[in-house]
Amino acid sequence: MDTQSYLPLQPGVGMEENFLSLDDILLSHERLPIRTECSFPRLGYLEKSTDAQDIPEGTKMELPLWLSKGLYEKKRRVLSVELPKVYREGWRTVFNADPNVVDLHKMGPYYYGLGSQMLHFDSPENPEIAQTLLQTFIGRFRRNMDSSQNAYNEDTSALVERLDCLEKALFTSGQSGLNGFQSWEKGRASQLTASSLVLNYRKRKMADVPP
Amino acid sequence: MSDALSDDGGGDVNQDDTQEDVMTPAELIAKLEEAWLNEKFSPELLENKSEVVECVMEQLSHMDANLQRVKKGDAKASIHRMEIDRIRFVLSSYLRSRLHKIEKFFPHVLEREKSRGEGDPSLLSPEEFAFAKEYYANTETYLKAVALKRMPPNLQTVDMLKAVPEPGLDSFVFLRVKERQENILVEPETDDQREYIVDLEEGSQHLMRYRTIAPLVSSGAVQLI
Amino acid sequence: MFCEKVIELIRELHRMSDGQLPAFNEDGLRQVLQEMEALYEQNQTDVNEAKSEGRADLIPSIKLRHCCLLRNQRCVTAYCYDRLLRIRSLRWEYGSVLPANVRFHMCAEEVQWFSQYKKSLASFMRSLGGGEGLDLTQDMKPPKSLYIEVRCLKDHGEFEIDDGTVILLKKNSQHFLPRWKCEQLIRQGVLEHVVS
Repeated sequence: MDTQSYLPLQPGVGMEENFLSLDDILLSHERLPIRTECSFPRLGYLEKSTDAQDIPEGTKMELPLWLSKGLYEKKRRVLSVELPKVYREGWRTVFNADPNVVDLHKMGPYYYGLGSQMLHFDSPENPEIAQTLLQTFIGRFRRNMDSSQNAYNEDTSALVERLDCLEKALFTSGQSGLNGFQSWEKGRASQLTASSLVLNYRKRKMADVPP
Repeated sequence: MSDALSDDGGGDVNQDDTQEDVMTPAELIAKLEEAWLNEKFSPELLENKSEVVECVMEQLSHMDANLQRVKKGDAKASIHRMEIDRIRFVLSSYLRSRLHKIEKFFPHVLEREKSRGEGDPSLLSPEEFAFAKEYYANTETYLKAVALKRMPPNLQTVDMLKAVPEPGLDSFVFLRVKERQENILVEPETDDQREYIVDLEEGSQHLMRYRTIAPLVSSGAVQLI
Repeated sequence: MFCEKVIELIRELHRMSDGQLPAFNEDGLRQVLQEMEALYEQNQTDVNEAKSEGRADLIPSIKLRHCCLLRNQRCVTAYCYDRLLRIRSLRWEYGSVLPANVRFHMCAEEVQWFSQYKKSLASFMRSLGGGEGLDLTQDMKPPKSLYIEVRCLKDHGEFEIDDGTVILLKKNSQHFLPRWKCEQLIRQGVLEHVVS
């Protein structure tokens, strides 16, 4: 039911980013390995390994996704973006062999999101990356769906700890469907309840004030 | 649901309307439920049904007035009161989901209203239009005052149309067919699929992309469920 | 790296995924705005030099700083906008009067936005049905019965029901009341709906 009235702005779908989405902002804060293809005068202080005034051409460093995307141009190369390890061929083989064994939380937690964003950069490996993302998702989806539809009234932390952000969101929505259905079956769907926001505020207030 | 309405005397619901528009209370409530479900499940804001809303409101106060005349303790009265509560819930829930979509997509909703041709039906009722305009102005004023006007001169505006996402018309919806449809073109889902054509039989149910059947929702040929 | 400060603002909100409103971080915002000013000034200098002395080699750095400016602008706007979504939901969860501990977390501009939102919503609801009005913050769940059993969770004082009867809502007392009269008090945690 529409009881929770704070609904955050949803992240973009696929390669899209939503300008105001907090999730997309955090995703685009992920760092990528890059190599500068020209010099950046007067910005040497951004590169900790040197005291020079400029960042010289050919420097290998890490930049957040948003900056790499902003600076990247096909015609006039100022930097080239390298693939993070999890999207390279070695890891792709592992993912394709059995996507269920990998810990996407540790390797991500924005495995799918960042992977889709990588497609903005012109790499010959893009078709394989896209294919692996899709197959990994499909390969893990069944198990994720089953567990989200069957774990009722139990601790789910073990079930979600290896999930990517996207998968976790799907798990949560599966759980809320399950819980809603169960409460309807027990005839509790029509019970009027206190706003969870109000309750959480009260909890916090009590935690703030020493007894 | 609507039997109770008729003996409390709908009848005059549409007294001002032309002959062909006369609706029984049962038809009116069916129209409201149809609009409610469509609005609840469609990703975008649908055309407003303010005549239905107004008629239902009128009907509710009519029923309420009738109830005042009924003796206390009459068993029929509580059934009627329950009926009023149920209709009011559907009506409120319908208006709430519209209001929520107006807030969620306000720049796009207003843009569509602006680019609407003369004579095209309006998406928004006059009250909703007023609300949307105020919401836009209020939000813009706030963003400006709290942050944007304190930024360097070339960064003091944000294009709300680009910043606030549009409704996701590609999301999937469940639907039931009310009038048989032929030759509906379904776009391919993956590169190795081709587009194909389906017929939608009356009474059949489907899961499809909203974009594919959006015109059928507004024409009333299908019902979202 | 630039734009680290503003990410802290974003994380602050992201952590509270249930919609609670943390205190407006004026201090954090000021630091971001200072960083923007510095970036803007450095770019002004470099742009002038690039023009007057033909130093095209400065352009990549100018572009980088400009990306950072846009990033800060985006994040600050997203921070403010997400706060609005939270403040909006407060109107629906609490009603039009907010408890002090919630109100204190809003900045002056947010208080203003909230009161304008309240006004717009009220005049919208009043205008429904040709001026008859309908309170949309009621009837959030489909009704199952006219009267419901409620338990009082705290002292609330006197309470008038439909027919003019006044009852006393005393902590731990139990009552059988019209559902639609109780909805708001249940949402606010004053009453609890007892289901057997």
